[in-house]
Amino acid sequence: MDSREYILNSIRRHTTERYDKPDLSPLEAEAITYDDPVAQFTAAMKQQGGRVVLLQPGQTVGAAIAAAFPDARRTVLAVRDLPGADELPGEVTFADDIPEARDINGADLGVAEGLMGVCENGAVWIEQSVKHRAVYLLPEALVFIVRRDALVNNMHEAYNRLGDRAPHFGAFISGPSKTADIEQALVFGAHGARDVTVLLV
Amino acid sequence: MSRHAQLAAKFQSNKAQAAWHDETLWMVREKRDRMSEAVPEWEHLRDAASALKLYSNSHLEELLLQFEENAKKNGAIVHWAKDDKEYRQIILDILQRHGVHHFIKSKSMLSEECELDPFLLKHDIDVVESDLGERILQLMGKRPSHIVMPAIHIKKEEIGELFVHEMGTEPGNNDQTYLTHAARRNLRQKFLNAEAAMTGANFAVASTGECVVCTNEGNADLGMAMPKVQITAFGIDKIVPDRRALGVFTRLLARSATGQPSTTYTSHNRCPHPGGEYHIIIVDNGRSRLLADPVHRRVLNCLRCGACMNTCPVYRRSGGYSYSYFIPGPIGINLGMLADAHRYYDNVSACSLCHSCQNVCPAKVDLADQIYAWRQKLQRYGVADSTKHAMSVGMQVLMEHPSWFNAALRFAPLVNKMPRFLLYNKLNGWGKHHEMPKFKKPYKF
Amino acid sequence: MKVALFIPCYVQALYPEVAEASQRLLEQLGVEVDVPRRQTCCGQPMANAGFEEKAAGLATHFETIFSGYDYVVGPSASCVAFVRGHYDRLLGADRPQRCESEGRVYEICEFVHDVLKPQKLNVSFPHKVSLQNSCHGVRLMHLSAASELRVPYYNKLRDLLSLVDDIEVVEPERRDECCGFGGMFAIEETEVSACMGLDKVKRHIATGAEYIVGADCSCLMHQGGIIDREKLPIKTLHLVQILAGGAGQQKGGAL
Repeated sequence: MDSREYILNSIRRHTTERYDKPDLSPLEAEAITYDDPVAQFTAAMKQQGGRVVLLQPGQTVGAAIAAAFPDARRTVLAVRDLPGADELPGEVTFADDIPEARDINGADLGVAEGLMGVCENGAVWIEQSVKHRAVYLLPEALVFIVRRDALVNNMHEAYNRLGDRAPHFGAFISGPSKTADIEQALVFGAHGARDVTVLLV
Repeated sequence: MSRHAQLAAKFQSNKAQAAWHDETLWMVREKRDRMSEAVPEWEHLRDAASALKLYSNSHLEELLLQFEENAKKNGAIVHWAKDDKEYRQIILDILQRHGVHHFIKSKSMLSEECELDPFLLKHDIDVVESDLGERILQLMGKRPSHIVMPAIHIKKEEIGELFVHEMGTEPGNNDQTYLTHAARRNLRQKFLNAEAAMTGANFAVASTGECVVCTNEGNADLGMAMPKVQITAFGIDKIVPDRRALGVFTRLLARSATGQPSTTYTSHNRCPHPGGEYHIIIVDNGRSRLLADPVHRRVLNCLRCGACMNTCPVYRRSGGYSYSYFIPGPIGINLGMLADAHRYYDNVSACSLCHSCQNVCPAKVDLADQIYAWRQKLQRYGVADSTKHAMSVGMQVLMEHPSWFNAALRFAPLVNKMPRFLLYNKLNGWGKHHEMPKFKKPYKF
Repeated sequence: MKVALFIPCYVQALYPEVAEASQRLLEQLGVEVDVPRRQTCCGQPMANAGFEEKAAGLATHFETIFSGYDYVVGPSASCVAFVRGHYDRLLGADRPQRCESEGRVYEICEFVHDVLKPQKLNVSFPHKVSLQNSCHGVRLMHLSAASELRVPYYNKLRDLLSLVDDIEVVEPERRDECCGFGGMFAIEETEVSACMGLDKVKRHIATGAEYIVGADCSCLMHQGGIIDREKLPIKTLHLVQILAGGAGQQKGGAL
């Protein structure tokens, strides 16, 4: 008997009591909501060590990013056709034009689209839209562009909205990479981005 | 005195360090309290998490098969390992087939349980732990003392000294930010050079065939981002039915573990890289037989958040190394007994039955009740403490004879007049730190 | 209403004044109290140490001597919690009816608070007291809101003390952290237990209270022993000693 059968047999043999699947609807219905999603999302991002920038009327996305990162020397884009891309400072490359994932190492800034923002925890849902997943992890700083109407209250709403949508890779990212592994002192910039900015458009 | 008590006494001998440990972990408990206060429906979330786990773990066959089918559709290769030996061998085979020498992995309690790292090192595979705490311990040759904060027992001075040799930091600079960023640079090269990567999983989603990993550092996520060969291994108890269930668990996990509203990264790994291989290993290693145990099966609810350790007044004051099982604290006491009661029974004393653990547990594992149940079984294993047994027998005999008890009460005040050396000696554990209470003339009703 | 007073073994041996105050309090509140003479121990110490079978005979004994009462009331949350939580199982599964003690046994503060519900007590205690929220009182008997749970704050001990004139009631930092007694835990894990006890006493002292007041003599005995050994500036009292009036004359830490 192979191990698969062995394990499944053991599970069958030992499952003596079956519990029903709980109905999550009442919990989802009573879950926390916020009167001012933008304010709450901004506060949650701040709590997680990130920041929120609001796109100003008449401003292009590129100009808003340039204003937030005037000193970026090397930017990698995970978004095609970024409005105002020519306003970004320094060298700007589209991720798919980079041959090897490791070549993204050393980039000052990565720019990606966030498909959803979660107000209760400042998390942004990203889905792999380019060939190198590393674009969401290697750059020193990240900007996620999130539409205001893509803010949801809580994780129940977030996952219900996602359904079984199936990107190759997806992630909620909530603020910069961090650790407290040395004497519980909080330090930003463990392995991923040291700085995460959400541009609400 | 149990082995735990002896090692706890050793931990207590450095009063300043012991107090720091207690206060620091209590701070984490307080952060958890504040986080849960911000969620009005908190107790209902815990109810839902518990119910979801009981459902999943009692429908494992159906959910695991659904997971397997979906994972295969996603292009992953699914393996089944019935025990730790098979788990290690499957991983070694994958790595050897691809000629992997540089292997990067993130923290996984399953890999600790199955003692993966020493096995791989023996087979000439340079396995690098990428979680900062785990990396520190790997370089020191030490084991974790907490499941979420593995290096909580190590002082920054020791880490500073270690990094001078390992990462070329300047001697005497023990600043946490400086040391962390030195590790970032050092490990970044390991990430870039790794030929294969591995993570555990916090959740395996049956309806999508994806593996979900939660980290703050981004190490599991960065590790899996580049190498063509990726491995995820998880215990069968990590299965959840669907993404809707993730809504419940992700709201509880980080709030309970570290007092954050979310971990920084919640990565959903589904497909291999183009031209790469994604291997998923489903591991039993003793879990399935627990399903039949009505008293202990709820340990399979555990999310490995560590909240029970942070709240445990005994763990905070005795440290992770006072427990003989690799997972300490209330959940470790129970998991150790389930793994091998004869080997790990000495941890059962490390509990005052205060029940705080089962109140903080996000999946409502009845940890203290289970420890109580284990104590009842120690006699059967022939490992019950003889002093406690003698005292219990003595009490039973006395208490079952009300007239003897009443006579004893009348004479007890004589004890108050006994010379100190007869009352306070090494036979009297109580007398080491307490004055004896005074026996009084019994109340006449 | 027929009420029996359940006096745990160690209370009878070490704290008869608590037994006396319990009876006095109930009588002052108009309750006629019986104290069955043949009562001894509920069996908790043996069971918590892992020798539950040695408590089975005591459970049967308890069930017999306390039969026929409407309420069985005792000044120890821990012992009462043990009767409630374990007796039905200890008495054996083959009996026709459930354990009777289970449903009618009350911790005395709980009984006064939930059943007698007095509006006033006519006692004064012009002192500052720090509440000892004991583990089994909080987490098994629900005498107050456990700090881990997200439920609205309540505290039955505090409610009762609010009926006492001139008293000031505070709670220590880490309001319901274990004091480290735990029965034989205190003897087997001496160092950790003593550290927990000393930490707890210091937090009570830090409130500026003169007394540590609780519903569990065992926690108070543990802390009292440490107070006396370390000669610390605080005393212990069982809640009923204040509620019944006339408390505060005792000297020393141990009640």
